[in-house]
Amino acid sequence: MYGGGNTFESVKTDSVAKEDPAKLAEFEARIARSEKIEPADWMPELYRKQLIRMIEQHGHSEIIGALPEGTWITRAPGFKRKMALMAKVQDEVGHAQLLYSAAETLGKSREQMINDLITGKSKYSNIFNYPTFTWADCCFISWLVDAGAIVNQLANAKGSYGPYCRALDRICAEESFHLKYGHHCVIYLAAGTAKQRQMFQEALNRWWPPMMHFFGPSDKISTHTEVLMRWKVKMGTNDEMRNQFLDMYVPKIRELGFTIPDPNLKKNTETNKWEYTEPDWEEFKRVINGDGPCNKERLEVRRIAEERGTWVREALRSPTTAYVTPLA
Amino acid sequence: MNSLDPRVLRLPKVGEPGIIQPKVPLDQFGSFEVFVQPKEGKPFQHEGIVHSPNIELAYVLAKETFTRRFTCTSLYVVETRNVFVSILTDGNKNAYDFITVVPPSGEKEGYEVYHLQKRGKQHVHVGGVKAGGPEEAMSMAKLAFHTDGIYNVWTIRQSDIRFTKPEELDLWMTLPEKRFRDAADYKGGDKLKNFLEKQKAVS
Repeated sequence: MYGGGNTFESVKTDSVAKEDPAKLAEFEARIARSEKIEPADWMPELYRKQLIRMIEQHGHSEIIGALPEGTWITRAPGFKRKMALMAKVQDEVGHAQLLYSAAETLGKSREQMINDLITGKSKYSNIFNYPTFTWADCCFISWLVDAGAIVNQLANAKGSYGPYCRALDRICAEESFHLKYGHHCVIYLAAGTAKQRQMFQEALNRWWPPMMHFFGPSDKISTHTEVLMRWKVKMGTNDEMRNQFLDMYVPKIRELGFTIPDPNLKKNTETNKWEYTEPDWEEFKRVINGDGPCNKERLEVRRIAEERGTWVREALRSPTTAYVTPLA
Repeated sequence: MNSLDPRVLRLPKVGEPGIIQPKVPLDQFGSFEVFVQPKEGKPFQHEGIVHSPNIELAYVLAKETFTRRFTCTSLYVVETRNVFVSILTDGNKNAYDFITVVPPSGEKEGYEVYHLQKRGKQHVHVGGVKAGGPEEAMSMAKLAFHTDGIYNVWTIRQSDIRFTKPEELDLWMTLPEKRFRDAADYKGGDKLKNFLEKQKAVS
């Protein structure tokens, strides 16, 4: 579980005005009744477009997110950690399959999604454009990036689009061990030698800024998402999700005796909200647009894998099957 | 390409960065619908799709994608194009009210029938009928299973389904040493408690 709940392009809402008002009212009433929307139902163009983007980017995040962790399988400390990490990475790639299938129900083909990832047209979770230098970086991802994704995805599982919710339910059910495993890894580093503690502290220092970026730009500068909230495409604002994550995990990080590298991070007891140094949103924009430490490597690894698999797909391809948009 | 991982650096040079060869039709194969039985004695329910070049491989991929962590006792797959679908209704409208009863014709074959009883949930298997074609199968389903609150009906010809064979049921027998993927196997509590107590003693 790696991403979800975010898209990284601005939203143009002008198409909504062109929709049939009667159909739109019926659609909104259905969502207001907490009923799910299914692929065969009428839906506004913006709803379809935004969901394709969101689910597709979530799928890409699972695939790309498996790379910085997968690279540590051979170097994970001990047999059990290797087995667990391998199982986790396998799960994440399986989640991409579920998410791509959910996006397909909205009419975008898997071929097109793969193309759009490799050519850089669609985005994925920005945090995977940073490198995993040490085992502690890998532990940070397993525990805290997964935790952040869980915050997003538990919210999204209550959204309005049936196939996405069902995929998320299944994903969440498979996740139970990931977070526990990640926390376990970090506890072992925390309770280990001075060197192990230092290793995780350094990982925390490196990953904290991208972790703060993870939930997307601050509500102050983020594009207008009111209509997407009303349609239950987005279930909370970026800042609400970030706040929820801080609420749940800052105490757990501090319990282990680590220092979060932000002197301004504290909970305001009056507003019940976390205060922190404003993340560097210029860096976020720069990295999401291709200029991060690992963007090129991630896309190249994916592209080479895709190209090298071509002959296998060609050998297996059979004209007796057919592709039909998935039913549900 | 710059990488910390020597295995990435050893990847063979193929093509050009950012450029992907145009994909031919069916590059990602055809689509198959997957149905699983979550527990012994429970009805099968629709679970999702897999892409596959043929139905045998679809069965294997469905097992890998949908039946991890003991959430299933059996499964089957069918090509998406072989699922017959009624209209999708909402509110008080029943999907069966839009199905017309047709006179029986032709040679009878078995069809499986599925209902969507709650929007947002999966289609669930309700039983089987014998019919001379898909239209007649819908009609027979209406006669046999018409109840309140059905939003959508699916029928599938039995001979189009790749069922689990009795001798394949051991697919879901998991090795006892696979506990590393069980959340209960990660009890860090004691280690954490000892650590916190030691910290307290120091300070």
